[in-house]
Amino acid sequence: MTDRREFLKTSCAALTMTALATQMRHFGLINALAQNENVDGGGDGGNYKALVCVFLSGGNDSNNTVVPNYDAGYAQYSAARTAQGLAIPRANLLPISPPAMNGDAYGLHPSMTDLHTLWNQGKLAVVTNVGTLMQPLTRAQYQSGASRPMQLFSHSDQVDQFKTAISNYRSAIGWGGRLSDRTAAQNPGAAIPMISQISTGANVFTVGNTSTPLIVAPAPTPLNQVLALNGFIAGNAEDTARRSAMNNIRAANLDYSMTQAASVITQQAINVSTQLSTDPVLTATFPNTTLGNQLRQVAKLMKFRTQLNMSRQVFYVQLGGFDTHSSQLNQHATLWTQVSQALKAFYDETVAQGIAEDVTTFTMSDFNRTLNPAGAGSGAGSDHAWGGHHFVMGGSVLGGNFYGKPTSNGSIFPTLVNAGPDDAETRGRIIPTVSVEQYAATLARWFGLSPADIPLVFPNINAFGGSDLGFMM
Amino acid sequence: MSSEFNVRRMRLFVPSGVLFCLAFFIVGASAQENIDAAPVIISEANSTRALTAAPKTRKLDQNARVFSPGGKTRITVFVTGVELLPGEGATAFRADATDGRYSRYPLQIVSLAPTPERPWVYALTFRLHAGMGDVGDVLLRVAWRGMASNRVRIAVGHEGGGLKDDPGAVPTPMPDTPVTFGQTDAPGLPYTGDRVRFMHQATFGANPTLENQLRRLGLSTWISQQMETKRDAGNAIRYSTFPMPNPPLMADLNPTCTMNAVCNRDNYTMYPLQNWFFREALYGEDQQLRRRVSWALHQIFVVSGREIVQPSRMAPYIKVLDKHAFGNFRSLLEDMTLNPAMGIYLDMANSTRQNPNENYAREIMQLFSIGLDMLNQDGTPKLDAQGNRIPSYDQNTVNGFTKVFTGWRLCATPANCPGSVTGTRNFKDPMEIIAANHDNTEKQLLNYPGAISTIPAGQTAEQDLQAALDNVFNHPNVAPFISKLLIQQLVTSNPTPAYVRRVADVFSDDAGGGVERGNLAKVIRAILLDPEARGNNKTDPDYGHLKEPVIYATNFLRALNPTANTGAAATCNGLSEGAINGITSLLDQDVFNPPSVFNYYPMDYSIPNTNLAAPEFAIMTTGTALKRPNLIHQMIGPGTGGATGIGINNIQGITCGTRVTLTRYQNLATADPTGTLLVETLNRELLNGSMSPDVRTQMMNAVQAVASTNALRRTQTALYLLLTSSQYQVQR
Repeated sequence: MTDRREFLKTSCAALTMTALATQMRHFGLINALAQNENVDGGGDGGNYKALVCVFLSGGNDSNNTVVPNYDAGYAQYSAARTAQGLAIPRANLLPISPPAMNGDAYGLHPSMTDLHTLWNQGKLAVVTNVGTLMQPLTRAQYQSGASRPMQLFSHSDQVDQFKTAISNYRSAIGWGGRLSDRTAAQNPGAAIPMISQISTGANVFTVGNTSTPLIVAPAPTPLNQVLALNGFIAGNAEDTARRSAMNNIRAANLDYSMTQAASVITQQAINVSTQLSTDPVLTATFPNTTLGNQLRQVAKLMKFRTQLNMSRQVFYVQLGGFDTHSSQLNQHATLWTQVSQALKAFYDETVAQGIAEDVTTFTMSDFNRTLNPAGAGSGAGSDHAWGGHHFVMGGSVLGGNFYGKPTSNGSIFPTLVNAGPDDAETRGRIIPTVSVEQYAATLARWFGLSPADIPLVFPNINAFGGSDLGFMM
Repeated sequence: MSSEFNVRRMRLFVPSGVLFCLAFFIVGASAQENIDAAPVIISEANSTRALTAAPKTRKLDQNARVFSPGGKTRITVFVTGVELLPGEGATAFRADATDGRYSRYPLQIVSLAPTPERPWVYALTFRLHAGMGDVGDVLLRVAWRGMASNRVRIAVGHEGGGLKDDPGAVPTPMPDTPVTFGQTDAPGLPYTGDRVRFMHQATFGANPTLENQLRRLGLSTWISQQMETKRDAGNAIRYSTFPMPNPPLMADLNPTCTMNAVCNRDNYTMYPLQNWFFREALYGEDQQLRRRVSWALHQIFVVSGREIVQPSRMAPYIKVLDKHAFGNFRSLLEDMTLNPAMGIYLDMANSTRQNPNENYAREIMQLFSIGLDMLNQDGTPKLDAQGNRIPSYDQNTVNGFTKVFTGWRLCATPANCPGSVTGTRNFKDPMEIIAANHDNTEKQLLNYPGAISTIPAGQTAEQDLQAALDNVFNHPNVAPFISKLLIQQLVTSNPTPAYVRRVADVFSDDAGGGVERGNLAKVIRAILLDPEARGNNKTDPDYGHLKEPVIYATNFLRALNPTANTGAAATCNGLSEGAINGITSLLDQDVFNPPSVFNYYPMDYSIPNTNLAAPEFAIMTTGTALKRPNLIHQMIGPGTGGATGIGINNIQGITCGTRVTLTRYQNLATADPTGTLLVETLNRELLNGSMSPDVRTQMMNAVQAVASTNALRRTQTALYLLLTSSQYQVQR
């Protein structure tokens, strides 16, 4: 019922007959502001910050993206996976030596050559064993029925919990949206919504109590064509009359909820389309892939940050295909080649734009997958599981290291044994030691969220020890 | 309960014999036939302030006109003009209040009971919204079966302030004789609001042929006719008007075909099925209802061509949906479970005792039958003592069903598999069991009253399957869960619990004593003929749903006399109706290629910042919103119009794809130089007559800005405005 309460606190402002009119006025106002800012330069003034969420949809098998590369560690990993053909040969791992692991070597997935470069440059960090939690949890506590997130191992619920950073009830508001709500004051005069997502349908991450996301198509669609209303010729009296009628019809019947919702979204698209009138040219070459094209569009919006008067932005991009129940090795390699190349191109572009220190990119996913494979041989895959490792990239990231909270073995990397001390059950569903809230709050604090507002964006943060994992400068 | 109110004393305050000033008429014996009956909240005799009773004192108390703010305050008002079905009560109503700042608060209804001396007057008690402060007067409204009441004033905190009364609002004092309110239906007239709404709910859109048929037959008979088993010349059962494509099963990889664009399109993409689907939707008049229901079922039992790749592999899955659209849900569940495309999509085909896969076990429960939470028969979640939802299963149950579904594989034993073709995987025959791969240990199933919730060790895979499907099918959630999803697909995103319950009762066959649970033909009929679905002009503010791209496109195409360019093959690479998919996929709905098992849009999506379910809005975003008007512009003009694959033939002479014809409306524009005939006809035929006066004024302004001699451009202008309006994009 708490979700209902959250709604009720906030719904009334949104569901009003005047909402559209208000929104129109709001946009009218900020358009005027933006124009003024353009006259006197406006811009980030060295105060630009952006967070870019890369969602690996379907549940990334992070057991195979960050692998122990020391004898005892690899032996455990191999024992859990080699027989069914799901282990990555040790020789193929891209070696890394995170200082936090006290001399134990690790390896990245062999497809991550570009990310390996960024790791070596100190621009990429790994946060270990992140997942949805209601409270810190041991295997014994889990097995004796202690509180755990609703509907563990279910895609839709775990996705939503990662995106809302709320695991004990269903929320219609995501943490990206709440973060935007709370930091909107740092973004005065923004000409477009502060939070944007590329190409995917609406998702809860970008929905706030007062923020609604801009959703645009990915490259190669030019930015000035992503949101265009066709068919009106300037100066044509018939078209002018039709356009005027269209606008007025959009403001009618707003007391009908669904009609109003359709009109508000259409109005928002029209408002933004007037702002995106040119297509910026980028320096870096982006791969022509699903993720590459989304990140390319993000980089273009960033290039417009000055003229759109954006000083804070949150972006959401997504790549599907990670639900590798079968034939995982090939699929996973293809996916990570794509992710690695796209992230590198994006990082290079932020360097070219002079904002590498101002942009932090991070991964999220439904969940990690079972250590114990599903099926065997070339068809081997893995099932839905829990805590997994995530990547954070950017010039302000304290890269080249692991960050996390101690697992049962004292280190921040879990013991990879089925039914072992970190397994919730029997198939290697690792109990997270870092909550989504802690991971997200560390990013949000860097973004500019005040310490006082952290519990407002992450209501359950106080259940965990500390809201800063230390991976940001 | 019904004697709570001191009705004798109430009379003191209500002069008897006062007539309603609204257009009331005496209820006759056929009152239930009035599909437009709307509730009326009773006011004081001389003002629009609600007549209230204080539940605590159980007396009508005119002095307590001011109610303290806060979620604990209960207020009782009186409602008439409604005729309730047996069992219809508080859950059939919604209530809201709007304050002086236009904030609209949903109100929780606590109870509804007839008053003893005036059984046609109901006492409705609701709780104030916790978020309402000392806001003064608010306008209270109730809605029932999609119909909104008049709005009356209630003072919260203090009296006065608030919005003005609605235009034309008058006192609605306590009546001494039964009354109801509304317009009479006009069954003989073409394009009544109710019939147009019905066509949008039950088919891919209104057109003159269908309208004529419905006017002649009536809705119920038309439904029966559509549900009849149809047969082809060879006396074989036929589930579609046009022959379904039957491409051959291909090898996983065929380099020759991959290099040939047409071969690749026809054998390794969903193109032939999309083409067929739109052909059925636009022209398959005798299978409209089955096609629409099958499309809805596809969005519950999701399989995606993105993973299945070959149309020959997907077609048998669609046939399962078609076959059972008016059949029994249990049979649908079984055929779907053993369907090879589903088997591959959700990994049951690879799940063995040695290496079990949980995917199908999880999704058959979460998405195909019972959902995550325990439900009441009216679709609302059951809550525990702390007010939390109650999970309907846990990991033990998932483990049990995972074991049940082990051992099945794509049919490969020649004797069992007539559809086998050497060198290809068999997606034509149901999956077969390899007994050695089946886990025959004991299994935990769903536990609920009356359930056989475990399977003993040692049964065969087939026995396990039957027991497990029975266990799922008989779960009490199935009726409300599936009924609500189908209502959301066909009628409205936010049905009242009472509506869900009426349909769910049909699903569980409560009236029939449970003889046939899960009869989908009866369920569909109950959904479409329910009073909440019927009526000429729905006024409940939360009624209706956004048209998903497929429905949006087919709705307007069917209204504009579409024709396929059958001669297109040579010049347009064979494009015809399949070109429509090129449009809907731009709007994030690529037919038979949903992005995930959560459908083209998740069914639990809600409008941001509200608790209103609005699944289709998940793909109505800033990114797609302008593509809708741009599509209309491309099709209709004015100015431009026409593009590869889809165009209009009386302007551009486009030879590819599906074309529309505006002649019928153009003739109306010619006949009436004022433009009224054109706009009013479009209102009736496309908007079920619901166009509000301000929208009509705007339409007329834009039409009249075009010279009356230019009938085509007037028609294009009017159509553009109407088809791009939110009022049309939302099916109400």
